[in-house]
Amino acid sequence: MGKVTYVGVDGSRTTVEVAEGENVMRGALYNAIDGIIGECGGGLACATCHCYVDDSWADRVGTPASREEDELLAAASAPRRATSRLSCQIVMDPAIDGLIVHLPETQY
Amino acid sequence: MAIDVLNPTPPDFKRVAGRDQVPPHVPEELIHSAGITFGPEFLAAPHAYMAAMHQKFPPLYYDVSPFGNAWLAIKHEDALKVLRNPEVFSNEGATPFPRDPDDYFYFIPQEIDPPQHRKYRNIVDPMFSPQGVLKLEATMRELANELIDEIIANGQCEFTTAFGRPFPVTIFLRLMGLPVEMTDTFVDWAVSLLHSNDRAIMAETMTKISAYLKAAIEEKKRQPDDGVVSRIVHAQIDGRPMHDKEIFGFVIFLFIGGLDTVFATLNNIWLWLANNPDRRREMIADPGNINAQVEELLRVHSVTFSGRTIVKDHEMRGVQLKAGDKITCILPACNFDPEVFPNPTVVDFHRPRQIVLAFTVGVHSCMGAHLARLETKVAIQEWLKRIPDFAVKPGTQIVYRPGGVVGPHHLPLVW
Repeated sequence: MGKVTYVGVDGSRTTVEVAEGENVMRGALYNAIDGIIGECGGGLACATCHCYVDDSWADRVGTPASREEDELLAAASAPRRATSRLSCQIVMDPAIDGLIVHLPETQY
Repeated sequence: MAIDVLNPTPPDFKRVAGRDQVPPHVPEELIHSAGITFGPEFLAAPHAYMAAMHQKFPPLYYDVSPFGNAWLAIKHEDALKVLRNPEVFSNEGATPFPRDPDDYFYFIPQEIDPPQHRKYRNIVDPMFSPQGVLKLEATMRELANELIDEIIANGQCEFTTAFGRPFPVTIFLRLMGLPVEMTDTFVDWAVSLLHSNDRAIMAETMTKISAYLKAAIEEKKRQPDDGVVSRIVHAQIDGRPMHDKEIFGFVIFLFIGGLDTVFATLNNIWLWLANNPDRRREMIADPGNINAQVEELLRVHSVTFSGRTIVKDHEMRGVQLKAGDKITCILPACNFDPEVFPNPTVVDFHRPRQIVLAFTVGVHSCMGAHLARLETKVAIQEWLKRIPDFAVKPGTQIVYRPGGVVGPHHLPLVW
C-alpha cells in the first residue's frame, strides 16, 4: 500500500491508500474521487484520467511511459503541461508512496 | 424517472416505430431510413455502407424503422457528447431485450446511471482490467493453438465455428465460471436474442436464459468459486449483500454481452485478412506494432451501437431533441468520420492514437474491452504464426446477419 493525495481544482485534498501494483486512476475510482473518469479502464484508449503530477514528485514519476500515452495527452481536454500524465499509467510502488497529483478542470 | 435499483420498474417510454409515428417536432427534411441493420444495401457490405453514411445522410437525423424510430448520430464528436452526458442521454430503457413487466429487472450496470453505476463496476473491474486479463494470456495462447491443431492439416475450415466462436466464448465461460460444454446452447440463445429481429423469439429466449442463469446463481451461492458469476453473487454494495434482482441483472447482462461481440469481431477481421494478403504480410513483418494493428482493425470492424433515451429536451447541431426520443450512436460510422480519421476507409497501422469508438465511451464504456483487445491480439498472433497464408474459399458469397452485432454469417477459408 502507498498513499496518494488527489487535489481537486477547488483545492480540496483527498488522501487514499492505493495497493502496490494498482494504478493511480483506479485509486480515484475505488474511492469515488471526482475529477478522474477513466472511461476506457486503463486501456490507453481515452484521455479521461489526465492529472498533473505535483512538481515535487515529477522527477520520480517521470514523463509519459509510451508513445500512445504521449499522443493521447495531446488529445486531453484540459491544457497539457510538462507534468501531465494519464493516471492509469502511474503504478503504485514504494518509491512513489505519498504521491500528490492535481486534477484538471475537465476530462472531456 | 430516477432509477430505484431495489425496486425495478419498466420505463414508461413509448415504443415508436414506423413512418406514421414520427413525433411532430421532427422536421420533415431530417427523416430518413437507413435500414440499419436489416436493409439489403446495409447487409451487402455493412461497414462500407456505414462509412458512406457521411456522404448520404445529414450528420444527425431521424431514422424511421419498423424496429423502432430513433435519432442517429454518425459524427464522432456527437457520439462523444451523447455518451458522456448521462443527464440528458440516459441508459434507462436503452437495452432492447424484452422483460416480464411483472418481474422486471435492470441490466446492470448497463442501465444504471452515475453515481450508482460506478459501485457495480468496482465489483468486476479488477477481473476485466488490463492487468486482470493478462492473467488469462497464457491459457488464451494454448487454446488458440489447440483450435488451430484441429484444422491446420485439413487446409480449410469454416472459420466462424472452428475458431471465431469457440475461441472467445470458451475464454469467456471459463472466466465467468460457467460450463464450457454448454457453448453451443449459449450461442444459439445469443443468436436468437440478438439476430432474430422478432420480439416473440426474443422473449421466449429471455425466458430460457433466465431460468438457466437463476439456477446457476443458486449453485454459486452454495458453492463459491473464483469465477465472475460467483464474485457477483457474493459481492457487497453500499455495505449490504446484493439483492437477487441485482445479481440476476448483472449476470444476465454480462452473459449476453460476452457471447457474440468478439465472435463477430474476429469474423470481420479474418474476412479482411483473407482478402488482403499484402496487408497481412505487412503485419507479420512488423510484430512490434501489434497493438496499433489491433486498434486500427477494431476501428474499421466495429460491431455494435450505443442507444440512449433522451430524458431532457436538448439541442444538438441545431436540431431539437425532445425528452422521450431515442438516439442511437452508429459507432462503426463514427469510426469512419473523416474529420477525425482522414481517409477513413484506409486501414493505416500508423495513425496517431485517437479515441476509437469500438467499445463506446463514457462511463458505460465496455468493461470487456481489454479482454476483447487481448483476445484479438492473441488470435491474430497465433493464427498468423501457423497459417500466414489463407483466402476465402473460391465461389463463396459472404452473407451478413441482420441484428445488433455486425458480422458475416459464414466464412469458409482455405490455405
